[in-house]
Amino acid sequence: MRNYLLRHAQVFFYSLGQLARTPFASLMTIAVIGVALALPSGLYVLIDNVQHVSGGVDSSARISVFLKKSVNDSRAEYWAGRVRKIPGVAAAEYVPPGEALAEFKRLSGFGSAVDALDNPLPGVVLVTPALSETDTEALNGLVERLKKSSEVDLVQLDFEWVQRLNALLEITRRAATLLAVVLAASVLLIIGNTIRLAVYNRRDEIEVIKLIGGTGAFIRRPFLYSGALQGFFGAFAAWLLIQLSLSVVAGPVTDLAVLYGSDFRVKGLGLQASGALLAAGALLGWLGSRVAVGRHLAEIEPS
Amino acid sequence: MIQFDRVSKRYESGHDALTQVSFDIADEEMVFLTGHSGAGKSTLLKLIALIERPTRGSILVNDRNTAKIGRFRVPYYRREIGIVFQNNRLLMDRTVFDNVALPLVVSGCHHRELGRRVRAALDKVGLLKKERDLPITLSGGEQQRVGIARAVVNKPPLLVADEPTGNLDDALSTEIMDLLADFNHHGVTVLIATHDLRQVKRLGSRVLELHNGQLDYDGVPAS
Repeated sequence: MRNYLLRHAQVFFYSLGQLARTPFASLMTIAVIGVALALPSGLYVLIDNVQHVSGGVDSSARISVFLKKSVNDSRAEYWAGRVRKIPGVAAAEYVPPGEALAEFKRLSGFGSAVDALDNPLPGVVLVTPALSETDTEALNGLVERLKKSSEVDLVQLDFEWVQRLNALLEITRRAATLLAVVLAASVLLIIGNTIRLAVYNRRDEIEVIKLIGGTGAFIRRPFLYSGALQGFFGAFAAWLLIQLSLSVVAGPVTDLAVLYGSDFRVKGLGLQASGALLAAGALLGWLGSRVAVGRHLAEIEPS
Repeated sequence: MIQFDRVSKRYESGHDALTQVSFDIADEEMVFLTGHSGAGKSTLLKLIALIERPTRGSILVNDRNTAKIGRFRVPYYRREIGIVFQNNRLLMDRTVFDNVALPLVVSGCHHRELGRRVRAALDKVGLLKKERDLPITLSGGEQQRVGIARAVVNKPPLLVADEPTGNLDDALSTEIMDLLADFNHHGVTVLIATHDLRQVKRLGSRVLELHNGQLDYDGVPAS
């Protein structure tokens, strides 16, 4: 067993040495893989960040229930109390017409012009749902239920834009997944091609090893290590690209966030995501070279 | 060690390389395989090394029916045969030591054992001092000796050589043949394909002569 591990370690360093012996070609391959992996990974980071921003907004999603003018304050308070007991409702707060007008006066800047009016505003109950914003069915159910009350004039779901954003994010996420699949395939092809050339360059060596009793596994091993290493380094290049791009963007984003009174910070690739990226790179490299070596090794038979 | 029983080999092109060849080589025997080029010498060696399979007939090597050796067992089978090539087929980008060590590396030999056995093999062919050199810096005779060291480092019971002196002058040929004969004296069965009749006559061993794919002569020529 120790002997076995030792042999693998030898092949590992041998493959590393082979890559170092042709630095330019190796770097080219690694750079191409890096760019191919950086695109979907970068998109993933973008989605993650946008979700983070919109996540802060979600909790303020509310249902505004406009009551009929005929409903007086005490009845409205009573009705709000009943709404609080509906499952899926976190809170329900009654805002009387007077308060609403005062707030409007303050925020709109119309000031005393508003005083001249007879208060046109109805009483409002602000309902905070205890439901996930993605559970549109339950939310709509709640809205329908509120609408049925005789006290209610109009119900408005305040976070339609959140839903739109989520829909948009979902589209982007799927596009990223598709992109990832396509680019993963291209990484397979890139590594497959590199390994194919390596196999042909070492044709004589392979023939000799076959003649002196080298098994297929023995001959494949250095190529598999080489492919996995190139994939790994490619993924590392992608990681560097992403972190570099993020550090370029981070400053202005923080400035913007401060202007909006938010303490939002750009999130990079976490430890887990970074690990997954590197592992995916190595795995793709291994797979690409496995396919290529399997195909081309059989063609090389000693004569 | 080697039994050929009515072995025929027809290539896909329709060419009959061997027809109904039968012979028997005993353990620890030394045999020359001769014949003009195209007579079937190479094909016969390829059948022994399982590079080719016979169309008809059976081949037993080391008491094993080669027809029963599947594709995935071939590497293990080849480890029991040392092969010396005409053009030595050394890896020019590796040192003499690494070239000779290759069969041991391939079979997963422990690295301490490996160094000892490689040096023993190099010592036997008289190239111990050149272990750090690249094969390209050696003479033709020395390269062939490295090839022989590689073939015997695994201590195979059977040594097969394909025109081992093909590119060498008389003096070097004698040196190489004596080296192979010496391994035979130490108990290794040796089969040498050659058209160097001077060496065949000099060593006076048994000769198998092929002519157009048929066994034309089998015996020890009177000198």
